Amino acid sequence: MKTRWEMVLLPSFLIVGILIVASQYVFLKGSFFKDLGLGRISDTATMVNYLRFFTDSFYLNTLWITVKTSALAALFTLILGFPVAYLIARMRSRWSMILLAGIVVATFVTIVIKVFGLIIIFSADGLINQALMGLHIVDRPYTIIGNQTGVVVGLMHFTLGFGVLLLYSVIQTIPRSLEDAAQIHGASRWRMHLRVLFPLSLPGVTVGVLMMFNMCMGAFTSAALLGGGRVFTLPVLIQRTVMMEIKYSMAGTLAAVLLVTVLLINLLSIYLIRRLKSARLVIA
Amino acid sequence: MKLERKPSVLFTSAVLSIGLLTSSMGFAGQFDGVTLRVATWGGSWKENMVQAIVPKFEALGGKIEFVTGSPQANLAKLIAARGKAPFDVMETLDAQEKEFFATNELIQKIDLSQLTNKEHLDEWQYSDWRVASWSTQEVICYNREKYAELGLPAPTTYQDLANEKLAGRVVIPDITSGGGFANFGAIAYAAGGNEQNVAPGLEVIKSLNSLKFWSRGGEVVTQFESGDVYAAVVHAGWCLRARKAGSPVDTVQPVITGTSHVGVGKYGWLVIPKHSKVPEAASWFINEYQEPEFQMLYAVKSGVVPTNRKSISQLASDPIFAEMLELDPAKIGNQLQIDYKKADTSDWIDQWNRSVSQ
Amino acid sequence: MGTEAATSTVQRADLLARISARRRKGPPPRRGYPWGKLGHYLYCGLSYIFLLSPMIVVIGASFHGGEYYTAIKFPPDDPSLQWYTKIPTAQFEALALSFGLAMLAALGACVIGIPAALGIVRGKLPGRSVISSVFRAPLQIPAIVTGIAFLQLYYLFGDATGLYFQGTFIGLYIGHLFVATPYVVGTVTAILQRFDERLEEAAFSLGASRWRTFRRVTLPVIMPGVYAGALYSFMVSFADVPISIFLTAPGFVTYPVELFYGMENDFDPSILASSSLVIFFCLLVLLGMQKLVGLDNLLRSGSR
Repeated sequence: MKTRWEMVLLPSFLIVGILIVASQYVFLKGSFFKDLGLGRISDTATMVNYLRFFTDSFYLNTLWITVKTSALAALFTLILGFPVAYLIARMRSRWSMILLAGIVVATFVTIVIKVFGLIIIFSADGLINQALMGLHIVDRPYTIIGNQTGVVVGLMHFTLGFGVLLLYSVIQTIPRSLEDAAQIHGASRWRMHLRVLFPLSLPGVTVGVLMMFNMCMGAFTSAALLGGGRVFTLPVLIQRTVMMEIKYSMAGTLAAVLLVTVLLINLLSIYLIRRLKSARLVIA
Repeated sequence: MKLERKPSVLFTSAVLSIGLLTSSMGFAGQFDGVTLRVATWGGSWKENMVQAIVPKFEALGGKIEFVTGSPQANLAKLIAARGKAPFDVMETLDAQEKEFFATNELIQKIDLSQLTNKEHLDEWQYSDWRVASWSTQEVICYNREKYAELGLPAPTTYQDLANEKLAGRVVIPDITSGGGFANFGAIAYAAGGNEQNVAPGLEVIKSLNSLKFWSRGGEVVTQFESGDVYAAVVHAGWCLRARKAGSPVDTVQPVITGTSHVGVGKYGWLVIPKHSKVPEAASWFINEYQEPEFQMLYAVKSGVVPTNRKSISQLASDPIFAEMLELDPAKIGNQLQIDYKKADTSDWIDQWNRSVSQ
Repeated sequence: MGTEAATSTVQRADLLARISARRRKGPPPRRGYPWGKLGHYLYCGLSYIFLLSPMIVVIGASFHGGEYYTAIKFPPDDPSLQWYTKIPTAQFEALALSFGLAMLAALGACVIGIPAALGIVRGKLPGRSVISSVFRAPLQIPAIVTGIAFLQLYYLFGDATGLYFQGTFIGLYIGHLFVATPYVVGTVTAILQRFDERLEEAAFSLGASRWRTFRRVTLPVIMPGVYAGALYSFMVSFADVPISIFLTAPGFVTYPVELFYGMENDFDPSILASSSLVIFFCLLVLLGMQKLVGLDNLLRSGSR
């Protein structure tokens, strides 16, 4: 008697499916109405919110800043995180446990706590400024609060932990023996990376980087706290629109644009990677 | 009565008297079991209430909880609650004139019979719908020693802060903070605009090259102490606290150039949300707020101007207070009060966002 | 995924490597660190410093000795434990809520996710990849969008039925469950794909019922995947801000949201003290998991 796995799947599918459809439908629908202030919404459907978004350079700039900071954060996280993931994956000693533990703790701890730490580190008489001023690199304190650099740093902290874990699990799937084989057969270390490690891990890494990018696009805390009220990313603007201006429809519009942007960028990236992969076929 | 009944009579009367005693102890708590939720700023604002009002309410059997946030955030919470009241008493700002007092649909009437302290208030300071809580004086607070070092004269108005020697050393309130609207409006006026034309103010703000926009007054005190900041636009109370914390700061009532006003005033109001289930406790609280002792405590600790006249004259005896705040009633009357009926604060926020975004 | 195709390559390469190694007499090949071991270690050290420094600073600064307004410094000027004694009860309540919520979210994610993974991997459904993407979809939706979407959903539902879920535990729970489930589905799918079904068939042929087979054979094998997914779910729920900030209400907040509002309105060095306690608590949980399951087992199976 064969198990009907499809039946097993059904309740879960219904639950998740209904939640997705219901929640997305409501806010998307709401975005097509006009705010009347104080949380009230008009009855006639109009595109006015969307028109406002796409004709106003402030909103368009906000979209650009969101994409830019998220992409930079994902990229830098990859640069910082990949070597660490590789180290932990290939290490044979018990130290790998401790390193891994460090990463998991960093992922566990909420971003708000990390932002406190960042603010203290970068405060006018904090460690960084003491060093910078002491070495006469700057003559007035450097701050990361209120500029895009701070937001990128905050986003990096947000995704680094998760990023390393994802990359670690990807590198895990590539056996050491492949690398050893390449080296035994004369490849230098760099060449081994270029022709074995990177191509094989590319699919997994792409998915990982896209996940980190998505996380950053939806991340609100670091941008809100480190943006200092001056750097507006879409999540920050959405929260402000809901919490300060109480304009639910406009907030829905902003959220819809954010969602569509994320989806488009994901699709585009996956498509591009597929094209690249088929073009420069290496192994597999 | 036969002898064997006497014990039962004694017993019954004993039980009855104990019962009466305990029930009378129960009745002593007018607000037994009542939880009053107060929406106010956090930090020291809340601490003053905890010190002065909470013990009295607890003696009456109740409990007070605080919901902290700026009045704008609390308004959003109120609207988000939809048919329920997330708190029972709320501190609001004069800037929220339209949201609250145009139609009164978010609030309910206050029981003025409980307002025994209205003898200390002026007519305009209380009504069925709201009671005044305090007023603040929005000033320019500057570090006189740093100014002397830089060879700068004391500032007289907002434009003076645009001096390049002060670049990156000035803070002004973020528009979403408590002091945001009042100061934004004042800067607009000083730049030649008014409630409906705030663009000139935005130009001045850009020229100030502000280090950051503060959302908590406490930040400003810390920044004066650490030397990050040489001048700030805050309400006088924060300047007072910075002085008490050790910074050599002075206040200046800003001259609103182009008008006859000197200084900027901001008022707060206490209201009861419509769906609150404990309006009597809320009215009691509002009355306690007007208690002269509490108003004095508030003034001394937080540097706000009390609502009642008696307290104002008492404060004149404290030298630091008298120096840093304007206590002459005539001059207080000459301070700029933004007419929020004419202002579209939502549009202000929009314009502010555009102007300051990096 | 390139990894499936690489398997046969792997087997070939493995064989080759072993043969070659047996022939070579010299030392084994150097590890693949392009800049040398030391350079690599140094680089990773910098990454670690970057990652961990904020938390270390928070712990250090929590011993702040000064009064309310003095600037918070690291290293602290005048170490004292005073702020540890002044942590307001509201923060402990929020912590309890966050913890309970995260545990239940992880549990719920398993309950929904395990059958889903089983169905995806084992069921012979035509639209398998579509179904799989549906389960992965919540990961694509930016967290803040999820938050505002659920808020609006609850308003609509509330206006229609009179039952308002925003600001309630159930409302918050559904939102967290929504984003936690994909992690469990992902990790359990990964481990199921490598599962040898013949183990189950063997149990069947020996007379075990379906449920018994599942419980005694399948479940233990997929447990590492379940634990990994549950761990990710817990972490995501415990640390979440964007969703919780919309679905909480005054008097009913999770710990990260409490901290967030604290930073905005009510800043008090006791926040640093409670944060240090949370960091310490996370370390303890980690230790516990290491003892119970072994971290590397946990995370090794989390691959896609």
